[in-house]
Amino acid sequence: MTINKPSADTSHLYDGKTVRSAAPSRKKAAGQVGSGSEIPQDAIPKVEIPSFIESLLGGPLVPKMKFLPPDKMVQNLQIAVYGVLVALAFLTYLISPPDGTMWYILSGSLGFANIMQLVIIGGATVCGFMGTFKRDARFSLGSNVLFILAILRFASSKTSLSNDAFGFQDSPFLLAVLVVVYSVLLIMYFELSNGVIRYSMLDTSIRTNEVYVMNPKKIVSKYHRSLIINPVIATLLAWFVLSANTILPRIVGIFSSDTSLRMEESVELTSVYGVALGTLFVFITVGILFGLNLPTHLQRYREKQAE
Amino acid sequence: MWSRKSAMLGSLAVAMYMLGLTLRNSQLVTIAVVIFVFLTWAALVGNHADVSASGRRAEEWTGEEGVALGSVVAMRKLSSARMFEDGELNVTLRMQNTSSLPKILEVRDRVPEVMRIKEGANYILMELGPRRETFIEYTVECPLRGFYSLGPVTVRIQDAFGLFHKEKELHVYNDFLVFPKMEDLKETFVKSRVPKIFTGAVNIRQPGPGSEFYSLREYFEGDSFRAINWSAYARSGKLMVNERERDAVSDIIIIVDSRAVAETGPVSRNALVYSTRAAASLAKYFLGRRDSVGVIVYGDEVVSVDRDTGKKQLYVILTKLAGAVARGNIPLQVVVNRILPHINKGSPIIFLSNLEDDPTIVNALRDFRARDFDVTVLSPSSLEFEFDAKRLDRTGYEVMKTERDVLIGELRGLGVNIMDWEPDMLLSTALAGARGF
Repeated sequence: MTINKPSADTSHLYDGKTVRSAAPSRKKAAGQVGSGSEIPQDAIPKVEIPSFIESLLGGPLVPKMKFLPPDKMVQNLQIAVYGVLVALAFLTYLISPPDGTMWYILSGSLGFANIMQLVIIGGATVCGFMGTFKRDARFSLGSNVLFILAILRFASSKTSLSNDAFGFQDSPFLLAVLVVVYSVLLIMYFELSNGVIRYSMLDTSIRTNEVYVMNPKKIVSKYHRSLIINPVIATLLAWFVLSANTILPRIVGIFSSDTSLRMEESVELTSVYGVALGTLFVFITVGILFGLNLPTHLQRYREKQAE
Repeated sequence: MWSRKSAMLGSLAVAMYMLGLTLRNSQLVTIAVVIFVFLTWAALVGNHADVSASGRRAEEWTGEEGVALGSVVAMRKLSSARMFEDGELNVTLRMQNTSSLPKILEVRDRVPEVMRIKEGANYILMELGPRRETFIEYTVECPLRGFYSLGPVTVRIQDAFGLFHKEKELHVYNDFLVFPKMEDLKETFVKSRVPKIFTGAVNIRQPGPGSEFYSLREYFEGDSFRAINWSAYARSGKLMVNERERDAVSDIIIIVDSRAVAETGPVSRNALVYSTRAAASLAKYFLGRRDSVGVIVYGDEVVSVDRDTGKKQLYVILTKLAGAVARGNIPLQVVVNRILPHINKGSPIIFLSNLEDDPTIVNALRDFRARDFDVTVLSPSSLEFEFDAKRLDRTGYEVMKTERDVLIGELRGLGVNIMDWEPDMLLSTALAGARGF
């Protein structure tokens, strides 16, 4: 006798279907988890909680992005940073003699202060090199802080040099030029080391298709142009601002030569407070112009001219 | 706007200036002044007025009036306003510079978080020449159903050193709809036991006009000669006729649980995602065989699509399913009490739920069964989703699984066709399992 059992063949259910995988066995899957009942690490979602400083600054101080190998633009910037870094280290040492530094005040020893000053400048340079080479913003930031620390001096009203091999000390004009050049180099170092990170980020974003850059040559050339033009203009404008105390008597001289002469001979006006006063005048004027929305009007004027 | 870099430089300059005045150190004052000058120059150069831009929809743009609106104009065009999950959407963003000066712009077109950029980029850095326009094209992949909106377009102009920037949001929005994707079903094993007046393509296990063989009976006067089964006549010596199973349209009711608990699990793998996809597939299948399909989605409110037939009904259902959001905790009993008077007795009911966090489920389904409704429950298991995502440890999983198995056993005892729908199981397989095949 033949018993017709119901067929167990369920292939008709899969006709024309692509079955990716069989339904997983729960018991088997449960057995793979392990003996502990603790929550697996990867089950906890990664939550980035900003630190107190980050929340104050509105984001991380140092970018956490991993960069791809540098492109030509970044490599050129790195070379520029190395050049500026060497010049800056030299000038920092030149215009920040050990007397007046906090190391001298604390220890009273010129030799110790000199060594400390050299160590700080050397540290800033090494940090700067590493930060630029590794494209690690932490080192660059450390380098910036060390350079600022090196220039902080708690004495003397006038600029003095640690080494006067070129005879700058005798000429107040050359000394002033030296300080302005140093300041511009310091800012350019800040900018270039930051530019290395910024353009590395941009380059990585471009190569990972996160951002698309149209006409990158023009954008890069604008940055290159700014790297030349901005420091030159900043130097000229700074020179003008710092000379406000000498320009002011000449303006007054149009109306009264006696007053002008008295102003020129005034110790207060040629002192650091005179420089500060002149600067204050200039920046108050600039502030008023900004308050009147000068940039907007200037832009509109440029657009009208272009039409 | 000041960037963090400019703010830090500014703070440094102020500190040096103050310290320089306090210590009477002209060196520090000089450095501070140079930093101030540098910042002022950057602010002057980078402070463009041209961010007074405006955004408009591409179809609204007539061509000439754009010049008067501002110096940067953004418009957007989508390849489609409706698509299915995993579909692709081509976006064309048109940026115009109506000013006579070139601009370097950073443009970011905001895309919903769940979308993936498949081709191109929605973040562009560009140099836009005077009175020029450019088209930015990118493709987004839409992996999840829902109502979405693209926009706004954020335009940023900044100086070369990134010290100051101006940012503006151009309020250009484009809405689009992503329907749940559908599985092609060949058979659902769901049949109505109650015929309707009009015949359709479904056998209802009753004799009548149809195509499938039902049984043999003796010949009566008036029967068609074509229905006579001559083989049976030869065997039995009596005239026998073939009876066919009656084809008829059915009322199919699909109930989708979209309570907050339905979204337990990863975003792309949870009970609600599976339920909406299953409901869409079933609606397509039933409407394809000329059934009348109604859908009820409940969560924080009961949303129903009244029974109807045809392709239009499919899109109405798909739209409702696309908009289903996991919210609220209405018990199933409330839904059953509300719909029970309005559905035909014996209509197949398909219930899609993870069966969690609702003590009224057993009673509600008992009410259906007591009125002889053919109830099929497909239950995507949230436990499996959670377990697969390693958010549930083994002990917890086993305990909850046991509770779930008890509930499923109880429902099965009521005569409900139920299937514990595990991830990676095809809908057709789950349906076959529920119907005991």
